[in-house]
Amino acid sequence: MTAKTSLGIGPEEMASRSALGIDTEELASCVSCGLCLPHCPTFRVTGEEWASPRGRISAMRQVQDHGMAVDESFLASMDSCVQCRGCEPACPSGVPFGSMMEATQAELARRRRVDWRRWGFRVLGHRWLLNQLSRSLAVVQRLRLVPSKRLGLPKIPLVQERLRATGNDVWLFTGCVMDAWQRSTHASAKRVVEAAGAGVALPGPGAACCGALSLHAGLEDHAHALAARTMKALEGSVPILVDSAGCGAVLKEYGKHLGTPEAVAFSERVMDVHEWLAAQADQLPSVGERGQDVTVAIHDPCHLRHVQRAHQSVADVLSRYATVVTLDDEGLCCGAGGAYAAMQPELAASIRDRKLEAINRSGADIVASANPGCTIHLANAGVDVRHPLEIVDEAIDYDG
Amino acid sequence: MKFRKADPLMRDLRRVLPSDRVRVAPLERSIMGRDASIFEGGRAGPVCFPISTEEVQGCVDAARRHGRAVVPRGAGTGLAGGAVPLEEPVVVVATKMNRLLSVDADQRVAWVQPGMINLDLSRALAPYGLHFAPDPSSQQVCSLGGNVGTNAGGPHCLALGVTSAHVLAAEVVLMSGESVVLGDADGWTPGLDLRGAYVGSEGMLGITTAIAVRLTRNPPAVETLLLAFDSVDAAAQTVSAVIADGIVPAAIEMMDKNIIWAVENFVGAGFPTDAAAVVIVEVDGLPGGVAAEADRVAELAVEREGSVRRATDDEERALIWKGRKSAFGAIAQIKPNYYLHDTVVPRTRLAEVMNQVYEIVDEHDLQVMNVFHAGDGNLHPLLLYDAREPGIMERVHAAGSAIIEASLAVGGVLSGEHGIGIEKRDFMPLMFGEADLDAQARLRRAFDPEEMANPGKVLPTGASCAEVNALGKVPEGVWG
Repeated sequence: MTAKTSLGIGPEEMASRSALGIDTEELASCVSCGLCLPHCPTFRVTGEEWASPRGRISAMRQVQDHGMAVDESFLASMDSCVQCRGCEPACPSGVPFGSMMEATQAELARRRRVDWRRWGFRVLGHRWLLNQLSRSLAVVQRLRLVPSKRLGLPKIPLVQERLRATGNDVWLFTGCVMDAWQRSTHASAKRVVEAAGAGVALPGPGAACCGALSLHAGLEDHAHALAARTMKALEGSVPILVDSAGCGAVLKEYGKHLGTPEAVAFSERVMDVHEWLAAQADQLPSVGERGQDVTVAIHDPCHLRHVQRAHQSVADVLSRYATVVTLDDEGLCCGAGGAYAAMQPELAASIRDRKLEAINRSGADIVASANPGCTIHLANAGVDVRHPLEIVDEAIDYDG
Repeated sequence: MKFRKADPLMRDLRRVLPSDRVRVAPLERSIMGRDASIFEGGRAGPVCFPISTEEVQGCVDAARRHGRAVVPRGAGTGLAGGAVPLEEPVVVVATKMNRLLSVDADQRVAWVQPGMINLDLSRALAPYGLHFAPDPSSQQVCSLGGNVGTNAGGPHCLALGVTSAHVLAAEVVLMSGESVVLGDADGWTPGLDLRGAYVGSEGMLGITTAIAVRLTRNPPAVETLLLAFDSVDAAAQTVSAVIADGIVPAAIEMMDKNIIWAVENFVGAGFPTDAAAVVIVEVDGLPGGVAAEADRVAELAVEREGSVRRATDDEERALIWKGRKSAFGAIAQIKPNYYLHDTVVPRTRLAEVMNQVYEIVDEHDLQVMNVFHAGDGNLHPLLLYDAREPGIMERVHAAGSAIIEASLAVGGVLSGEHGIGIEKRDFMPLMFGEADLDAQARLRRAFDPEEMANPGKVLPTGASCAEVNALGKVPEGVWG
């Protein structure tokens, strides 16, 4: 199996032997024990060292410490990484792999000549434009003019319900693609949070995108600009609830990325919506007639489990409304990885195959995943997958 | 050396394997130049990923035709440099041969491919109530082929024996290209025990392509005790006292102060960070016996002023073991590099040798951590260092040599379970006489007359010394 390196860089930039800009102490912090290997989805499906965290660190050292030129195989090693960060909790030495990979991607982004992501991701920061484009895409989809599955796209709704603020106790972060393509999930999350007794405030267009996709593509400047806008749009001191694991992980790391006291204070207010709900357990409404008769397998999104390490709260909340089973694959990634499924379709599909086997072994009726990327990627393989709070919303007895 | 498509060796390898499974990019060959040991700078030739015995035979044939050596590799978790390629050999990687071929639960035998991960096998056997007993600390990633190569041990090998006791047969591709089965899955072979000679041969007799492993029934009851002591002496004496009392626990593991801190920082299992040493004792078997033995172990610890904690459930037990098994990997919290020794000493001399280790390390102004299989006297002193510090390697190697000499002086051996590899190759004459070494070399040549299988390892031939020295981490003279 090979990784795609369609975002190649020019020969001069490749040969440039300047360092990758990775923190030297971080790069020195791996003892090469290999305990990360089985927790890396790309190593699991290839069995090849270049597609493992240890191999990637070794490759970074070759370039940064030993002056090896960036070449096609280096790009393949880096671009094949899903950035799931499953290696981080597995590492007894706490090697900050995500931070090293972000630094590497930022340097590669500077060297790449053509990268559609540089322009494409700009749309995400403009809510009106993104909504218009999504509506057009929805029409084109209905006319069967785009190969949606091959592109990894979900069925985009033609009409979206309008969300209305109900108070100022908490913010509900709505984000970019999820708001444009899966707003009904936000509606469910909002109803459940309100049922737990909180008035929900909705951010204006300034908080149009958290910047996660840009950050993972190494487009640091764009990511930082989006972060600054998002922080401004979500001012105040109330908790910021997030129903997308990928967005929540980045919002929680603004403090680390921007390094300002405001960013640190902002990140401290960010909670995954399930974390917040689990802390209000006594306020949660009771189960209606439709609850409990369904068996749900929880797929932990990587950025909820490995980065936020808050995945237990999904089970805590969901188990009140449904019979919950856990998958036996120790939280291995599903291969979605934001834009990864579109960039590396072959690897993403192999990784998903392992996940499908785990889902089959669980014997569950449906799968719950608290991240839009995972739900789209798994649904494209025919899995009945929903956001946990959609299942909760359906099970709650709002009249009871 | 650059490999071009027209290179005759490449042409032959690509006749055997599809081109995406023969990799020659300089970066990939340099990544494959190391394992989990301290040796950097090894360099692979073509890296091959076969998926069948026939493909392994094809790789070996091609290498032989072009006079190229062959180095087998599993997950690359070896600690003695056994999989580090010297002189750009053909590297045959087993990771894609990772299937469980068959399970006979009644006979308690399974055939597995060599790239299967040790823990994956035990997980696959869970529905049968069986497991594979050898459990190296790296079991979540190390491969069974590598376990066979090093005759790997693990905490639970105290009562049940190391890998050799759990391998009934191995299908092996010899350097002639021929595939043979050594041993018998039914458990009985007349004549020479070639299987016994093969297990632990560190890739120097051939390449493993399938393994018949003996399966062990999961014990009906298990008790895990975490004992903490104010001195290493008291901990070591307790270990001796447990065995002297007639108890053979499933495992007895010991960790000293520094490593307890690093491990606790990672797992948060409640290891007492103020203790001088902790001992993990696990007893298993039938419930009545287990309870009695656990009580007796606790008594023996308390008599030596130890404190006792018993794991109350499987989760707590798993957390304690996770701590023990992540110890090596946790080192980078303190220093970015470690040099790990693996000597075995008589159990009754444990405390004495450990005190010598502390003295040696002080003399060389280094830091040491100890985490080891106390029950069978298998020491694992980890010398911590930062390779970027000038002159540090000389001190690390000098301290290492002194530790080995101290261990051998009390009747110990060079390696308990990690193997000899490159690391301990030139210490072999400290332990073996000329006749011993000659017998081992002749055994090797009986399998591999041209010495093309993993050359430069285990036996001190002098042939590759220059290259080993050139690996950059080994000071002049250490390898003789």
